[in-house]
Amino acid sequence: MKQHSLKANHRRDAIIGWAFITPQMAGFVFFVLLPLISVFLYSVQEKNLLFGTSVFNGLENFRLLFADPLFSKSLVNTLIFSAGVVPLNLIFSLLLALYLGGGKMGTRFVRGIIFLPVVTSGVAWAIVWKYLLQGGDAGPINWFLSLVGIEGPNWLFEKGWAMASVIINRVMKNLGMNVLIFMGAVLNMPGDVIEAAHIDGAKRFTLFFKIKLPLLMPTVMMVAIVTIIGSMRVFDTIKLMTDGGPEGSTMVMVYYIYHQAFRMFDTGFASALAVVLFLIVLVLTALQWFSRKRISFYES
Amino acid sequence: MKTNQTKGVVRLLTLLLVLLLTTSMAFATGAKEEAAPSGSVSMTIATWTSNPDQIALLDSFVQGFAAQKGIEIDVTFESIPFAEYNTKLSLELQGQNGPDLFWVLETAAPAFIESGLLANLNDAMQAYDPEDISSDALELWSKDGNVYAIPFSTSPFFILYNKDLFTKAGLKTPEQYASEGAWNWDTFKMASKTIKEKTGVWGFQTVDGQGYDARILHNLAPIVRSYGGDFWTNDGQVLINSDASVAAVQLFHDMVYQDVSVVPPGNQSDFFAGNAAMTVGQISRVSKLNEASFAWGIAPMPSGPEGKSPVIGQAAIGAHSKGKQAALASELVAYMTNKDSVAAMSGIWPPARKSVLESEAFLTSNKSVSKEQMQNAVAASIKTGRVLPSHVKYPQIEVESKMVFDKLWQKNADVGAILDEVATVYAKYIK
Repeated sequence: MKQHSLKANHRRDAIIGWAFITPQMAGFVFFVLLPLISVFLYSVQEKNLLFGTSVFNGLENFRLLFADPLFSKSLVNTLIFSAGVVPLNLIFSLLLALYLGGGKMGTRFVRGIIFLPVVTSGVAWAIVWKYLLQGGDAGPINWFLSLVGIEGPNWLFEKGWAMASVIINRVMKNLGMNVLIFMGAVLNMPGDVIEAAHIDGAKRFTLFFKIKLPLLMPTVMMVAIVTIIGSMRVFDTIKLMTDGGPEGSTMVMVYYIYHQAFRMFDTGFASALAVVLFLIVLVLTALQWFSRKRISFYES
Repeated sequence: MKTNQTKGVVRLLTLLLVLLLTTSMAFATGAKEEAAPSGSVSMTIATWTSNPDQIALLDSFVQGFAAQKGIEIDVTFESIPFAEYNTKLSLELQGQNGPDLFWVLETAAPAFIESGLLANLNDAMQAYDPEDISSDALELWSKDGNVYAIPFSTSPFFILYNKDLFTKAGLKTPEQYASEGAWNWDTFKMASKTIKEKTGVWGFQTVDGQGYDARILHNLAPIVRSYGGDFWTNDGQVLINSDASVAAVQLFHDMVYQDVSVVPPGNQSDFFAGNAAMTVGQISRVSKLNEASFAWGIAPMPSGPEGKSPVIGQAAIGAHSKGKQAALASELVAYMTNKDSVAAMSGIWPPARKSVLESEAFLTSNKSVSKEQMQNAVAASIKTGRVLPSHVKYPQIEVESKMVFDKLWQKNADVGAILDEVATVYAKYIK
């Protein structure tokens, strides 16, 4: 009798448990898992979005992909973008968090200013920056530069400057979130360890590199992984500011996938690109994850 | 313990399977062909205009058609921005809730016909007088004797100009130059440069400011063709790097980078706000000037060494072949392009119907434009004008060639060499 009642309780708990997770699971299955499986299936098909046709073509899309100069260009552009965004974002957000975590005067105001771009609509942000970055003397930034005798470039229409502009723009837009995460870690650093280092005579430089940075390393690792993945998946900034131009100089991989799928309607080829990007991000994340024990001394 | 885990996995998989089947059934029900319409019918029409007056005019046709059929139509107009039009439309048409009727750009016509997304309109057009629509106008929208979309707009490009700025710069107006037979690309270049030097305002803004990207063909075609060049031809010749085309593009490039009189790439100065003296427009754009703070006029496109070569922007309306109301939508397309509807639209979208074009009413159909302007800049150009080049692979051609065209927009660009590269891209697709 007692065993029967226990079983009934277990079953009831299981039903309640399933009821709780079903909405989340349904969302995951339909909006993540099935699209992910579809991408793998599409990547081995010659599939045209406009014509609605699909024919199995094995690994042909991957063969074409590795012979496509725009694929290598988009890969290089993605690496340049990440190499610009990730260090700038990490360094500035960490320094700002250390400054703001110190409780100095005006920190609340600065914190608000830094977080403002995060809550601003990406479209509004891009439209404003497109206006500010106009070439010639029409753009406010170039007008400001002209006051000090510098002739500013046509920021979004010259190859090198276009990439630099979107990198800086992206860093400014997302800096606030990382500052917030780092501040949480800074405020949670054990005060006794830092105080002991002070008593032992540690100077600012030693204190930062030997004490604070190692203590913050798990957070740095987490923020680095999230920022790298985010930078590899950048789309909105490119779409709204440069449309991948000029001459494809800001054509990053996700934008190239969009280009192939929704402008050239080659969904099969675009899916092959998406599979490659998925594998690259997977490998990079795995490398960082497994190397965390070497970098962060108290990771288990 | 292990058995319990296995049970859990089995339960999870069963749940997922049930969810998958339920959703598939729901989708399948939604996709089912609806029975013959009775009562209220919902329809969606995709356009690239968001002008409330133009939408109201289109809505009046839908309501007229509904009254004739004795049904109610609850119509939704979906305005998709021009630069994104083909991309978003294609995506929607492959989904379950694509528009029932949609506008089609001339450049994308062959691709859309080939895709099978456009319904055959032969039956719906039976009431038409075939002689009234010029066969040239339907050529682009037909295949193997079947019509897949009907042009509602055969609208030539012309120059919209700011009279006040021409007066301020001490110049005759483009209309005056045209009446003297001196309105050519050299005069146009001179006027643009003079205005920039004397007033500080840009001489020319490309069509909608998109002449360096989404509307590059619209921007360059009038110059290139009047120089005797072209982009490509229907018989498979690539002409963008011919001497005539290079000379024409060089003229425009010199205006941007030597004369510095054209609103450059990335600059947001706008003709309609008074920040440029000239732009290229069509009659549907004139309503934007109703509340302009300056006097304005319209003139034909300048002529080139090969004389006048008007360029026509053509747009058609078609029915979604896989739509829930494909037959009704086809009938609505025919209604929206019948003689009465076309006459009502002619002041905004000039038609391909001879009876309307040749009528006195057409010349006075747009209240903002004089009869003479309508005759000189619109009616005369429709007779001799040509549409922009199109191709079944146009989406690919547009995207790939744009990356090469980008190289033009530098001060020291070698125009001939860059157009050779563009020609190589075209040659990949044009056969």
